[in-house]
Amino acid sequence: MKNKCVFLLMIAVFLAMPVINAFATGDGEKGGEAVTLTMGSWRVDDVKQIKKICDAFSRKYPDIRIKFDPTNPPEYNAVLRTQLEGGTAPDLFYLRSFGISRQLYKEGYLENLKGLPGLNDAFTKESIMPWADTDGTPYGVPLLAVSHGIYYNVDIFKKLSLSIPGTWPELIKTARAIKDAGYVPFANASGDEWTIAEIVFMNLAPAFIGGYEGRMQYETGKRCFNDEHVAAAFQAVADMAPYLPKGQEALNYYDSQQLFLMQKAAMWMGGSWDISFFESENPDFEWSVFATPGPTEKDKYICFHMDAGMGLNSKSKYKAEAKLFLEWLTTKEAATLFGNELPGFFPVHKDIPSLTNKHADAFLSLNKGRGLDVRWAWPSLLDGSPDGYSLMQNNAILILKGELTAKQAADALQKGLAQWFEPAKNCGN
Amino acid sequence: METGKISLLNGILRKKSSAHLVWILFLIPALLVYSIFMAFPLFQSIRLSFFTGKGLRPDNFVGFDNYVSLFTDPVLSVRFYNALRNTFIFFGIHMFVQNTLGLLFASFLASKFKGHSVYRTIIFMPTTLSTLVIGFIWTLILNPQWGALNKILTAVHLDSLIRPWLGDTQIALPIISLISSWQWVSLPTMMFVAALFTVSDEIVESAMIDGASNAAIFWRFKIPLILPVIGIVSVLTFVGNFTAFDIIFAMATHRGEPMYSTDLLGTFFYRTAIAGEHPVAEPNMGVGAALATVTFLLLLTGVLTWLFLSRKQRLEANR
Repeated sequence: MKNKCVFLLMIAVFLAMPVINAFATGDGEKGGEAVTLTMGSWRVDDVKQIKKICDAFSRKYPDIRIKFDPTNPPEYNAVLRTQLEGGTAPDLFYLRSFGISRQLYKEGYLENLKGLPGLNDAFTKESIMPWADTDGTPYGVPLLAVSHGIYYNVDIFKKLSLSIPGTWPELIKTARAIKDAGYVPFANASGDEWTIAEIVFMNLAPAFIGGYEGRMQYETGKRCFNDEHVAAAFQAVADMAPYLPKGQEALNYYDSQQLFLMQKAAMWMGGSWDISFFESENPDFEWSVFATPGPTEKDKYICFHMDAGMGLNSKSKYKAEAKLFLEWLTTKEAATLFGNELPGFFPVHKDIPSLTNKHADAFLSLNKGRGLDVRWAWPSLLDGSPDGYSLMQNNAILILKGELTAKQAADALQKGLAQWFEPAKNCGN
Repeated sequence: METGKISLLNGILRKKSSAHLVWILFLIPALLVYSIFMAFPLFQSIRLSFFTGKGLRPDNFVGFDNYVSLFTDPVLSVRFYNALRNTFIFFGIHMFVQNTLGLLFASFLASKFKGHSVYRTIIFMPTTLSTLVIGFIWTLILNPQWGALNKILTAVHLDSLIRPWLGDTQIALPIISLISSWQWVSLPTMMFVAALFTVSDEIVESAMIDGASNAAIFWRFKIPLILPVIGIVSVLTFVGNFTAFDIIFAMATHRGEPMYSTDLLGTFFYRTAIAGEHPVAEPNMGVGAALATVTFLLLLTGVLTWLFLSRKQRLEANR
């Protein structure tokens, strides 16, 4: 009998525990304790840096803390959607640019950020657009961009007394000189196929199609995807083919990085995200970066890709606090912190801060006097099948293999997109 | 309490009318585990193949649409038939190379020559390594810039044979299949060795006395006697290869590079149902579940055919 009583008491305590717990924490919050916001992201490598940035924010707003909780990049989109559907999503989270996040906004998962103080002062219209609805309503604060260009080995360039090429024909001439001297001109390879799309073709495309304005001509149907500019861009890929490393079909991204680091290759068409990798692998290695040249001196463009924005969960319990954080993100202080903590991931702020990392600063300063545009396929060519990304990637690879000419590749791009992309269907008027 | 339970159990056991049903009690745990962890997810997956929607919980019923787009969509169906064809090639190379070599090694090992245990260890070694390690090592060996294979070929003046091995759409899949065969060859070997040991010495001896050659003994006596094991090995190879994923993932990424030439049903499934296609990376669980169901039906047909054939054979043998 006595045993039974003790047992029942234990059950009662056990059952009451969640209630007691809830009471305790509820009490705490009312007492003005800190609110903790969770932040979702796909940047698993940045845990330490983001913590530092969030601590800087918490020094300003002592009763708001931010917990960074990243997910593996390949699963991020699917995991975030499931969390949003199930009501367990973080308060704040990183947003992919363009279509993917726009879909989340349309389904009501993202808070409308119209009128967020600082948003319109800190960012240009073009840099808000990747996280805004088609009518211009913003639902995300622009956070980070990555840039593209050509890394080069300063010592080899000095030794062969080469100068920075200003046009594409000059670049190919430089490549020939490098090859004659026994080096590999470009470390790029197609063993990891995405590299051909993202750091070769879409890297050089803005300089050939005329940046943002040029891209708009294709997306409004004024130009066809197989006109002379696109053919010239594909021809540029063909021009590079003889200057890639031997066996490039089977060399992956890591092999390319090593070829450049081991000073076997003199140039590497690459993205700014590699800055910290090259610095940590070989701190004494002298390298720098120049802008990918276009057909003439006048074609001054850079592929400056809007990569991550910050969105607010429309069902968050702490919207007011989260908005304070988003507002802080629009300040130059936050932009400088992000730029310095994450070299190679650039703040999108109008008032570009000068960065402490010399490589990152050199990369970012290429933007001065050049037209900027995102990677070509992102804004509107991913929403159908076959998508523009795979068409650009696969046809560029076929050019490298010598199975297609530049004109045939451009025709294949036009033909593929004309299957679903309205402006491509009746273009050229 | 305790005594009450025991007496209840005893009651069930003693009760004559239900005594013959007691075996059910012993099946229940296994049945529960099987239903919860195997059968239920399988049926859920089949159910899912009739739905569509974004994210991990598609909830929009579409009937057979997922199957229709898997078989007819201009982009999706090309990938599907390509992956199906590649899987058959992958399986064919394993059947031919891995199992034939397995039988060959087994007949050597079963003859118990001096030092056979050393050879057994060597043959078994690759199987004990992780597939990711195997993939990594072989990718390095085959690397066109710093790989050992091309260095060896250059040293013996066979430069003309040098290829970007894993970058050539024609040869990447055969090469990965051969590496996978090399990794797993010990499993059929072990099974064949065990089977060959069961062939009784009297049969072999009497055949020898009758003047049969070694080859005749092997083909006319040993092979027919271990035929059931050959069947099991084939079915295991079939099931293992049609669900293969890891070696391709390790050596050719989940996209089956170059140009989808090494894409198998497993990697195609991973891309459709779990990872999504780069760069959008939004998986389509419905189509993925449809693909999983098709793979399941393929496997089921294969295994049932084998069961039917082996049963027929047994019946004929008994007659």
